Amino acid sequence: MKKGQTAKKTVSFSDDTTMTTHNRKKRNIDHDHPPVFVRKTTLTIPWHLPLLLLYFIFGSTDYDSFKLLITLIPLQVLYLIFQFNKSTVYGNKIIKIKTSLLLICLFTTLLIVPFVAIVIILMGAPISSNLKATWLLSLHICYLSYPAIYSVFNCDFKVGLWKKYFIVILFGSWISCIVIPLDWDRDWQRWPVPIIIGSYVGAFLGYSIGSYV
Amino acid sequence: MDEKQLRQQEMLLQNGLNPNFDGNDSNFTDSPRNIADNLYKQRNRKFKKLHILYVFFIFSIAILQFISIAFFSRGFLLTRNVLDNISTDNNPNSILNDKPQFDKTVILIVDALRFNFVIPVDVDSMDYNPNYHNNIDVLYDTFKNSQDSSSVLLKFIADPPTTTMQRLKGLTTGTLPTFIDAGSNFDGSVILEDNLIKQLYLNKFWNDIYFVGDDTWDALFKPYLNQQFSRPFDSLNVWDLDTVDNGVISYFHEYLIDQSSKDQMTYKTLIGHMLGVDHVGHKYGPNHFTMKEKQLQINQFLKEIINSIDDNTLLVVMGDHGMDHTGNHGGDSVDELESTLFMYAKKKNSFTLDKDYETSYNISNFGESYKQVNQIDLVPTLSLLLDLQIPFNSLGWPIDEIAQNSQQLEMFQNITVQQLHTFKETSNLLTSDDERNLLLDELFEKNLYHDYQIQLLEVCKDLWARFDYISIAIGITFLFISLVYLIILTQLIPSIVINKLVTEFVPLIICLIFILNLIFFGTFYVFPTSASQHHPLRFLNGHFIWTSLFSTAIGIILGIMIPLLDHYSIKWLICRFFEFFGDYWTRVAGIFVILHSLLFASNSFTIWEDKIVGFFLTSFGCLTLYEFVFVPKRQSTVALLSGLYVENKKKVITNTDELDDVAAELNKKMEDPYPDSLPLSKESRILGSYHSILLIILTRLVSTITICREEQGDFCKPTFTIDNNYSPYIMGLLFIMIFLIPSLVKGYFRLSSSYQGAAPFWINGFLRCFLLMNFIYWFITSLEITVPSWSVNLFKGMDIKTMNFTLSRTLAGFSLVAANIGWLMGPLCIELGLSNNSENVNVKQASVLGYKNIYGSQFFLLVINVFMSIVVFNKPLAQLSIFAMLLQLLTILEIIDLFRLKQNIIGPVALGLLCYQQYFTTGHQATIPSIQWDMGFILSPSITFPLTHIGLFLNTFGPHIIVSLSVALLTFWRQPPSILNPQTLLARIVSSCGGLAIYNTVLCLSSFIFVTHFRRHLMVWKIFCPRYLFASASLLITQFIVVFVTIAFASGRLIRQINELFWRQ
Repeated sequence: MKKGQTAKKTVSFSDDTTMTTHNRKKRNIDHDHPPVFVRKTTLTIPWHLPLLLLYFIFGSTDYDSFKLLITLIPLQVLYLIFQFNKSTVYGNKIIKIKTSLLLICLFTTLLIVPFVAIVIILMGAPISSNLKATWLLSLHICYLSYPAIYSVFNCDFKVGLWKKYFIVILFGSWISCIVIPLDWDRDWQRWPVPIIIGSYVGAFLGYSIGSYV
Repeated sequence: MDEKQLRQQEMLLQNGLNPNFDGNDSNFTDSPRNIADNLYKQRNRKFKKLHILYVFFIFSIAILQFISIAFFSRGFLLTRNVLDNISTDNNPNSILNDKPQFDKTVILIVDALRFNFVIPVDVDSMDYNPNYHNNIDVLYDTFKNSQDSSSVLLKFIADPPTTTMQRLKGLTTGTLPTFIDAGSNFDGSVILEDNLIKQLYLNKFWNDIYFVGDDTWDALFKPYLNQQFSRPFDSLNVWDLDTVDNGVISYFHEYLIDQSSKDQMTYKTLIGHMLGVDHVGHKYGPNHFTMKEKQLQINQFLKEIINSIDDNTLLVVMGDHGMDHTGNHGGDSVDELESTLFMYAKKKNSFTLDKDYETSYNISNFGESYKQVNQIDLVPTLSLLLDLQIPFNSLGWPIDEIAQNSQQLEMFQNITVQQLHTFKETSNLLTSDDERNLLLDELFEKNLYHDYQIQLLEVCKDLWARFDYISIAIGITFLFISLVYLIILTQLIPSIVINKLVTEFVPLIICLIFILNLIFFGTFYVFPTSASQHHPLRFLNGHFIWTSLFSTAIGIILGIMIPLLDHYSIKWLICRFFEFFGDYWTRVAGIFVILHSLLFASNSFTIWEDKIVGFFLTSFGCLTLYEFVFVPKRQSTVALLSGLYVENKKKVITNTDELDDVAAELNKKMEDPYPDSLPLSKESRILGSYHSILLIILTRLVSTITICREEQGDFCKPTFTIDNNYSPYIMGLLFIMIFLIPSLVKGYFRLSSSYQGAAPFWINGFLRCFLLMNFIYWFITSLEITVPSWSVNLFKGMDIKTMNFTLSRTLAGFSLVAANIGWLMGPLCIELGLSNNSENVNVKQASVLGYKNIYGSQFFLLVINVFMSIVVFNKPLAQLSIFAMLLQLLTILEIIDLFRLKQNIIGPVALGLLCYQQYFTTGHQATIPSIQWDMGFILSPSITFPLTHIGLFLNTFGPHIIVSLSVALLTFWRQPPSILNPQTLLARIVSSCGGLAIYNTVLCLSSFIFVTHFRRHLMVWKIFCPRYLFASASLLITQFIVVFVTIAFASGRLIRQINELFWRQ
């Protein structure tokens, strides 16, 4: 029932998008060479992220970020296959999902993790203590950006379109550290819980409205 | 290379691009030269005039800010009305008895005697530390073993602030000090208020008072002490651990312990004040073997005293405050507040101990639940014991133990409550219909005397925190106006217009200051009654200084406002303000400034400011890194918006003559790795990314150095400790830095081919030698501190201390005086390079090496001078931090230059962030106990006027000084001559300095607003008030250094010199 509704919606919106797409395509031809863009549909909204967050904040015991990660990865893959990739248009066609690339990206995302961890430490995370937490945090951030990483690979690294998705996720993590110094003595102020929440919110916003920006 | 030679070479260059060195000046005809000369002179005069006007103009804004801070402080820092009444007959006891219970008193104050120093501590306990626990056992042993109630040992709670001066006032007057007193620790003046010592002096029986020890006593109680026999010692030299203590011990030996026939002693009261424990705390912290030695010495000394006093003598041993885990004090943590009170008499049953001995005097868990009394309770206690009048202003309550029976206790309490009541009635603290007054009266009538005292104490604490809101409002308004002016005049209005405007501002400001001073003096000073009773400014009545400050501030405000509104409409200015934020980097800067100023809205953020500022600086590094890596499209738009780049380029082509143009071309080819074009070339992007990454890494590394605030608690582990500072690793790093730092700075000079002329002397010569000597000095100091009795073992007969002082004075003298005189000689970092022409092998090509960065390289030598003078006065870890600061500074300069953001406010803001980060990583916090007092004694062993103060000033505000000087480098760095005329250059420097001033003013304004808002907050005196004091000091110091050193002295001189070389044509 619900599925049908969304499908309808897409159809009704798609008229609209083709209009704007047309303009956008032209601009893309002008600047970024392969005309890739993300359609403006509600399909890109990653509903699983707020649900995961709700579970993380209210459901899980003691903010178990490892469990969260385990749930996140398959959901992100599903999101990429059924939602994000379906909204990505290359030329005039929706790019088909490549299973091999999907797996390669899962692995390359792991390779990015140490660099993200280093950046987090450079931004002020403790150097020697809490390394495991920092590591988990960077895993979260990397797998949140997994659809964008896949798209970068899919476009042969030529398109600057995906930058904003990474930026929004990082900005979410950057801003969320604001609660850490407060002396409220809450459990969720513990490292790295606020940053994880911030990056989820950032990813949710990024994937939802990324195509409009 | 002297100037004449250079000028000759310059002329040769003008003569044609391939000068033949055998040629002479004959090519020049006289008449055009004269014209050029006149033109130059005229221009030079114009510049000098403008320079003076600018200095005066910025100075007047600085004065306005000074006045606003003065007014705010007047309203905010609390003062107390001191009553000069002296008690004469509130103690019927003393009138009844003709002879007191004791006939001699010995009072010994052991500075910073924390309570857990004197009680037995469980050796197995986690926090047990053999350096300061269980060393002084005589007090507790005596107390425990005296079955005959001849002694009493109590925990003694001081009132904050726990500085010695404030504690002495509290201990003797029995009243609460207000914050304003804390500032005058360095010059104590005689206490006029009624106090215990005065009462001793006035009493016919006790009036012969002998004193030995801390000379603060001499300053406070000079008229009352026996001048012939008293022996005060210098107290604030914290590096001297033994002089005062040995003085006290030998004095006590002379007058008390070794006295064979005790009758011969003439004194009635003997007061000693020992400083050793406190000084060990300041110098090494409690966890150091010296503390153990000191405590054992004191233990021995106390034993001797206890054994030698006679039966009719009362012995009082007490501490004035405790010390925190770093050994400092001044705040209000439990460790700082808990001190010791011990009273002893040979006479049996002098005291009555609590029946419930085990619970009252429970020493378990570091004496956590041990019976405690307030420090101010000492005054009535001693007064009653010695049959004195209780001093008039005393708010204390006698401690129960002194009464021998319940009857006497009741009598004591009656006496005290009479005194308290008299004080309350006389002082008119409360209006008669005040609720609290009624409550007090009720308690008094119900005979609930102790409740009455507690209530009165609360009332006083509350009342003496009463603010003057009119002054506060004036301060905030003035500061806000100065901020608006700074933004308008240094950022919004184009600098060319300001060049014209200053000629209008300055005369008007001077006139208005005179006129308004006259008017206000007439109203408030000469005829003070003419102002009505309800006039909001009536507090100026009869106050010479405040009237004059107020009218001067109004004069400055009007003097700027009138010409400003004459030329611009408010609407235009507002539009321009929003337009100003249209630029990406300006927005980033604005966000940083606003976020930083909003930190003061919460105590948690203020506490963690050190980490947050480092986070901001890293974020700035990340943003620039992103910019270099991805080069978003705004890049070119930014440059177009600021309009500078295009303007510059046009000037190069049209305005300057051919020679400069070609020379510049040549230089560009030879030395500039990245040509003047946007978007950035690949090389400059790589270089820029490297600088950004270096900035981020250095910022992170440096941020590991911290002296934690007490409020940061378990979340912060202090690394700026004695152990770390003088550890072999740090010494090794310092040694490596001797070689590393000059090479790195050299690398940055090489980037712009400026490692010519004077630069090798300065960087490779002066700087390296200086760092070597500095290393030797600190190495010796570290040995002195870490190895016990080191100097005796290695240098028998040779006084290593004197040698070290010679070394430190040489270092300071060189960096503060000699190097700056050297800079005044005008060390240029350029050289004439000859190279073969690629086309014609026979003709040599000449070019000026280092031409591109001629301003920046020379100015940076001055920064190196200042850097050297600051390094000496910092501890080893802080030195490492300042070394990193030099590199961070250079990376920021390069980044700003690569982005062509010289005129953007992001430059000053990034430097401001750097300055605050470095303030925290050099072992400081925005608290009073974190001032490194021991750095005042690097140049002299005792307090000597300029030497001690220079040391403390350079130590505390080192990063501020470096940054407020190098803010001019934003304009100067890689600024070739002959592109901008001197006036424009000066205007741009003023604009950059204005950016830094805006940043500091916003912080100061925000701290004003929030400290006023949180005036009743629990943490106001601990967190917000110190931060506001620090913000005020930062603003003032930055402004005055910017005005006098950066703009008036250095920039003016440098621009004139280069002008003479390159503009005289």
